[in-house]
Amino acid sequence: MIYVVTALPYEASPIIKKYGLKRDEACRHFPLYRADNMVLIVSGVGKLASAMATAYLLAQNMKHEEAKEEESLAVINIGVCGAVDQRYPIGTSVLIYKVIDHETGKQYFPDILIQHPFEEGSVETCNQVVRREDVLSSRVELQANLVDMEASGFFQAASRFLAPHQIYIVKVVGDHLDVVDFNGQRVTQCITGALEAMDELLKQVQKVCRVESDVLTPDERLQLGQVKQSLRLTVTQSHQLMDMARRYKLRTGRSLPDLSEFARTEVKVKAEGRKALEKIRRLLLYE
Amino acid sequence: MSKFSHIYIEEGATAYPVTQHVLSRFPRSIRVAIRHYKDVFNRPHQNFRRQKASPKLILAVKQEPFLYPGPEVCEDFGHPNFYYTSPVLNCIYDCDYCYLQGLYPSANIVIFVNIEDFFKAVDRKLESGPLYLCPSYDTDLLALEGIVPYASRWIEFAATRQDLVIELRTKSANYSAIAHLKPAEQVILAWSLSPGEVARRYERLAPPLKTRLTAIKAALQDGWQVRLCFEPLLKVYSWQHVYNEFLDEVFSILPAEKIFDANIGVFRMSKEHFKRISRMRNDTDVFAFPMVCCEGEVVTYEDEKELRDFFYQGLKRYLPEGKIYG
Repeated sequence: MIYVVTALPYEASPIIKKYGLKRDEACRHFPLYRADNMVLIVSGVGKLASAMATAYLLAQNMKHEEAKEEESLAVINIGVCGAVDQRYPIGTSVLIYKVIDHETGKQYFPDILIQHPFEEGSVETCNQVVRREDVLSSRVELQANLVDMEASGFFQAASRFLAPHQIYIVKVVGDHLDVVDFNGQRVTQCITGALEAMDELLKQVQKVCRVESDVLTPDERLQLGQVKQSLRLTVTQSHQLMDMARRYKLRTGRSLPDLSEFARTEVKVKAEGRKALEKIRRLLLYE
Repeated sequence: MSKFSHIYIEEGATAYPVTQHVLSRFPRSIRVAIRHYKDVFNRPHQNFRRQKASPKLILAVKQEPFLYPGPEVCEDFGHPNFYYTSPVLNCIYDCDYCYLQGLYPSANIVIFVNIEDFFKAVDRKLESGPLYLCPSYDTDLLALEGIVPYASRWIEFAATRQDLVIELRTKSANYSAIAHLKPAEQVILAWSLSPGEVARRYERLAPPLKTRLTAIKAALQDGWQVRLCFEPLLKVYSWQHVYNEFLDEVFSILPAEKIFDANIGVFRMSKEHFKRISRMRNDTDVFAFPMVCCEGEVVTYEDEKELRDFFYQGLKRYLPEGKIYG
């Protein structure tokens, strides 16, 4: 599943169109759009808004336990930014390797482990709109070439849920800090121009962000669940059982032996469960 | 993605000659300025396995302490003052059993560029007596010699210090990188060896056994003191046969009388590392055998002694007992 966070509806609309996302009317807190493999949230402007929306999106939707094997899991912030430097023409899309929070000075680093079609760079997230004259007069001192208002909030929230290689930030240069009148259509155009490269990025992301598959099959997990229940195993004993089962499969390369006898055993006292678990241990570790 | 596509450079590390040397080796890598190496290396939730496929370099300045007392699980070879040091963290190889994957939160390679500070720390330590030092435990310096010439720097340094003995442990076949140096009696080149089949299965990216043996033979011919490290001994199918054949192969190529010494170590790991690594490795059977937790919270095979004794007897056919440790 790919989760996408944009600040503005103008940034979201080309993505919604390209990937055929449908509005989730059940979500009353944020504009949320879904397809089979993608969920997009529109956060609103600012790092706090981005952090809230990202946390909401991932907490509500990402269920590790239910993640299908071989499914990918990643979150992407895509949006427009300003460029201090004229060497970034309008429409340049940049994959971010460093995020600097302008107010706190903290730095954040996504892991870039994939080939991708973007330029790379760093972005500085500011609470206020930064204008060219602010930078030229040194009223605002920037360390990065790109400026936005969401990336640091997005990254901080996302990194509570996911590994740094599952977090991506794509910024499209929309201006050179010289915007007088906001033009939503121009924002949409910028994002539209980045979508082909974004598609390529998603293909790579899907490969590197695959959920690692369990050595136990769903049927084996089901049977082990029944064994846990019928033997009334404690939490620690349950972990031991799962660990032994996985080790058995890794060591022998075979399917688990038939444990249905234990799944049928109804124990009355815990000592009986302990005894049965010891029997399973001998079966799984020494066969 | 290629190795070292990104190089993270600590602000304070920029001016060091080692930094400039490493950067010159990777002119196309993206350079990212960082404040402290831990901002990248110690990030939460990093995926060691995924990072191994595309490791990055981090250039940093090490702060005190530079030397650490040798760990209990490591052989001291009779040296009372046994220390190790880590001028580099992590390794370019990817061995299934490696303890580094449980030791560090990241698979990225940190190179501490202030090598002179390490040498100064060694000199301070030498003031209180002889020192046995291992600078290639948390990495493989010889394998990295093409990126950062630390193996040769350590050899050159040790050669000028009377009371110092250093062990450079490696799986590399890159002996030619140091072959121009004069063998020094303060330096032991220590090669880790495993049977060909074990190396193929569990030592990804490391050179095959035969290539390592060729490198060792050349080092012996040049007059270096060579230690053979038979560790970790792993349980594999028909291990008696595998390890017997292995010893025959090793000593059919290497002249036993020229070997400085050898050590034996059955697969073992601190309980905490074992727990952490076995949770993330569902692609290898290394951690799947019945294990016991021994004294000192060290995990090893239940029948560790059987494996060790068997190998010891085999090795005794080639080396005198006095040269076998572990």
